[in-house]
Formats: sequence, structure tokens, C-alpha cells
Amino acid sequence: MKILKQRWAGIVLTALSLFLTIGVKTVFAACGPKEDGSWMACHWAEQAVFASGIVLSCISVMILLISDEKVRLGLSLAVIPAAAVTALIPGVFSGLCMMTNMHCHTVTRPSVTVISVLIAAAALVDVIIKLRSRKGGSR
Amino acid sequence: MKLTESLSFRNVTGRPGRSAALVILTFLMAVSVVCGTLTVTSLRTGLGALEARLGADIMTVPASAVSKQNFENIVMQGSKGYFYMDRSYYDKAAEREGIEKISFQLYLASASAGCCSVPLQIIGYDPETDFTVSPWIRKSAGRELGDLDVVVGNDLSVFVGSTITFYGVECNVAAKLDKTGTDLDTAVYTNLNTIKKLIASSVELGMNEFTDIDPDRVVSCILIKVADGYPVDEVLNDLNLHVRRTKSFRTKDMISGVSDSLTGVSDIVGVLMCAVWLLGLAVLFLAFRMSVNERKKEFAVLRIAGASKKKLAGIVMSEALMITLAGAAVGIIIGLLMMISFNGLIEESTGLPFLLPDGGAVALCAVFALAVSVIGGMISAVWTAGRISRIDAGVILRGEN
Repeated sequence: MKILKQRWAGIVLTALSLFLTIGVKTVFAACGPKEDGSWMACHWAEQAVFASGIVLSCISVMILLISDEKVRLGLSLAVIPAAAVTALIPGVFSGLCMMTNMHCHTVTRPSVTVISVLIAAAALVDVIIKLRSRKGGSR
Repeated sequence: MKLTESLSFRNVTGRPGRSAALVILTFLMAVSVVCGTLTVTSLRTGLGALEARLGADIMTVPASAVSKQNFENIVMQGSKGYFYMDRSYYDKAAEREGIEKISFQLYLASASAGCCSVPLQIIGYDPETDFTVSPWIRKSAGRELGDLDVVVGNDLSVFVGSTITFYGVECNVAAKLDKTGTDLDTAVYTNLNTIKKLIASSVELGMNEFTDIDPDRVVSCILIKVADGYPVDEVLNDLNLHVRRTKSFRTKDMISGVSDSLTGVSDIVGVLMCAVWLLGLAVLFLAFRMSVNERKKEFAVLRIAGASKKKLAGIVMSEALMITLAGAAVGIIIGLLMMISFNGLIEESTGLPFLLPDGGAVALCAVFALAVSVIGGMISAVWTAGRISRIDAGVILRGEN
């Protein structure tokens, strides 16, 4: 129970980051290739989110495994901007398909946005809790 | 006294497992209320926008080329298709009695829309007679469309001022229409000269099913507004009887199918919302009762230490307020995030006009969900609070109850 209390952020962040990384290639992947075999614009957004998901997963696993409290705080802080940037990849940093009723607009983009926001929120809550406990401990 | 130092707050944070379970319950209640209310509101907003966009009372199409279902699919579901009839049918329809305004449109489906291998429906209208799309186009573009100008539906990710190519003809994107929440949002509108050029180009390239049509002599769909004092059904029957080889439909009949589905979906959402809410209320009632029963001795000690009956009831009520407020706030944020992010998917999967209302209405839905969830939680704690305020401290501490 104590481990769960201390490592909840690492568990939640790892689960969400892995879901983002695997999901963007499976359940909420972008549109498939065109008839001529070439890729649509959204494919490159999918690739970028996949790469970003790998980075987030690595950081989350480190939060889970590293025992130094200060290092974990720093890693949690790093997750917040990384997740925010990931949320903006589809549609802002990388273009999607032309019609907004296509799969990349209706499924990929909202899924990436929601999961990234949840990752950033979980990391933010973890940072606040860690900072409060540090403040409480230093009194 | 700071909130974090209050007895209620310490009670809530002191038992994280129990509090988390209650927070999750109110979270689910808030999610169901906010998502249910927004779904019903969005469907109604979408239907309103669709009615406004269709404009005409009657639509006439070639009988041989299209069934009512096919035509409905093109207008309502965004299926791509085109069909033509001789312009003389338009002249014949215009001669009938009871017609206030009459116009026509020409349809064409693109082979590809530049970036994606999905065709678009191109609709050409006559600016001189049109009374359906012109008001929307003037509102969006601020002017009449010039030759080779197009106005695109809101679901197309192209920028105003950019160009889009159909059948080798480069067109300028003059404006983007407001969203309707239907597949009309993926259509492209243009004037008569441009659509004729596009049809001619598609025929030249051998990409049009109709190989021998003269764009100047054909129309796809006739749009009619019935004059005041004439029943729409009468004019409809007259057109079906006298303008042969065409089929006329009442626009409202097409929308009534959508409207019926919308009522069905709204009813189901309403029933589900009520079921989740009532179930949540019952579980919350039991959970508060059990949690206070467990702590009877704590409350008895407080009573002996001098806490008034009102104070004890106040502790239970403020615990309930903290828990329901936390659960409802998180539930509303997550519910709004899901609804706003996935509204496109809901529109696609239901096949109904789904248009999120404006920011003010969304905020109103959120406030309503917060009020309903918090009031629900408080109601379920009232009985327990009343009961704890009447405890006999002596009996409880002696272990006789």
C-alpha cells in the first residue's frame, strides 16, 4: 500500500504513456495509405506522436523505478511540457487530412489530446503533492 | 479556521479509500449529466442548423436517376453522387401554380480533393435565383462568388485564400461556411459558371459517368419555395403529376426521419442519465449512512466534548459537500474534454446532425451538471446528518447501540 502511495504517479504515467504509444499505431491510428500507396498528411502526425510517446514512456518508467525523490520530481516536471507538446502535434505542429470527418480528425486527434492532457494533469498533481510534502518536511 | 484544518477535511483525507470511492461515484454522476445534457442540446442545435441550411420547401430530382433514399443520402448523409435532367423540366416546374421562388443546383463529385483520396460533393447554384445557400455564402464570404471561386464546408481543412483543384481546374477558396454538424459540412459550393466548367472538364477527361451532357442544358435538383396561401402538399402533388419523369420530395419529410431518430436518441440518453443518477443517489445514500454508522462512537465522543447537534450534522454535511464538489468538478472537466474532443466521432457514428452549442450554452450545461450532482449528493447525506444529530451519546458509548 505504501509503495502504491509513493509510486502512483509512475504507475499512472507509465500506463497512459504506453497506451498513447501503442494506441497511436493501433486503436486510434491515423488514416491508412491512399490507393496509390502514398501516405496522407496525417501519417506524419502519427509518426511524431509515436516518437513523442516513446519519450514519455521512458520518462514515466524512470519515475516508476528511480527512488531519489528529487530526480522523480524533476522527471515529473519534464513530463508536463512534453505531454503538452504531444497534445499539439496532430493539427498544430503537423497537418491532418483535408476533411474533418475523417478518422484522423474524429478519432486520432481527440484521443491523443485527451490522453496527453491526462498525462500532463497526472504529472502536475504529482509535482504539487511532492512540492507540498517537501515544504511540510522542511518545516 | 483554514479549510484544511477543519474536522470535516481531516475526516475526508484521513480515510482516502472511502473518500476516493465516494468521489468516483459523484464523478460518474457528473459525467453522465454533463455528457447527456450536451448530447441532447447538440442534437437539437444540429437539427436547427440543418433546417436553416436546406431552406427550400420542395426538392425535385430526376425520377429515373435517383430514389428518395439515394437523394436523402446525398443531402443528409453526404454520399457523393450526381445526376442530371434536361433544363426543360425546370422551366415546366416554374410554370406551375403556387411557387414563390424556384432555383436549381448542379451536382458533381470530385475524383480527389488534392491531399486525400476521398471525393467531395460539389454543388453549383445559380446566384440570380438561389434562395437557399446564397444567404449563408454571403454571410461567410461577404460578397457574391466570382468565377472559379468556391466556398467550402466547415469540415474541410483548407484555408481561405488557398486554391483547390478539381478535374485540373484550379479554384480559389473564397470562404468557409458555418458548421451544421452534418455531412453538408464536407460539400463545396460554387456558382453556375464554375460548376459548368468543372462538369465540362470532367467529361473531357473521361471521368464523368454522363459522357454526352451539355452543362448549359442540364440541372440536377430543382429547389422550390411555396407561395403563402398554398399548401405545400398540394404544390408537391401538382409537381409530381405534371412534371413527369421527375420526383419531388418535401424537405421536411427528409428532416422528419432525422428528427424521429433524434427524438429516439434523446429519449435513450435521458433514460440512461436518470438511471445513472438515481443509482448513484441510492449508492451515495447507503455509503454516507454506512460511513457515519462506522463512526458513531467518534460522534458520541464529540457530543460529550460539547459539540452541538447542529455541529454534528454540519460535519456530515460539509464532508458530503467536499466529496460531491470534488467528484462533480473533476467529472465535469473530464466530461467536457471528452464531448468537445470527440464530437466529430459522435457525429460520424450517429449519422445525426450533431452541433455543439456555443460557449455560453456549454457553460450553462456545466453549471447545471454541477448543481444537479452536488444537490443530489447533499440530499443523500441529509437523512444521515439528521440521524447523527439525534444520537444518544451515553447509549452508544456503553455499546448498547
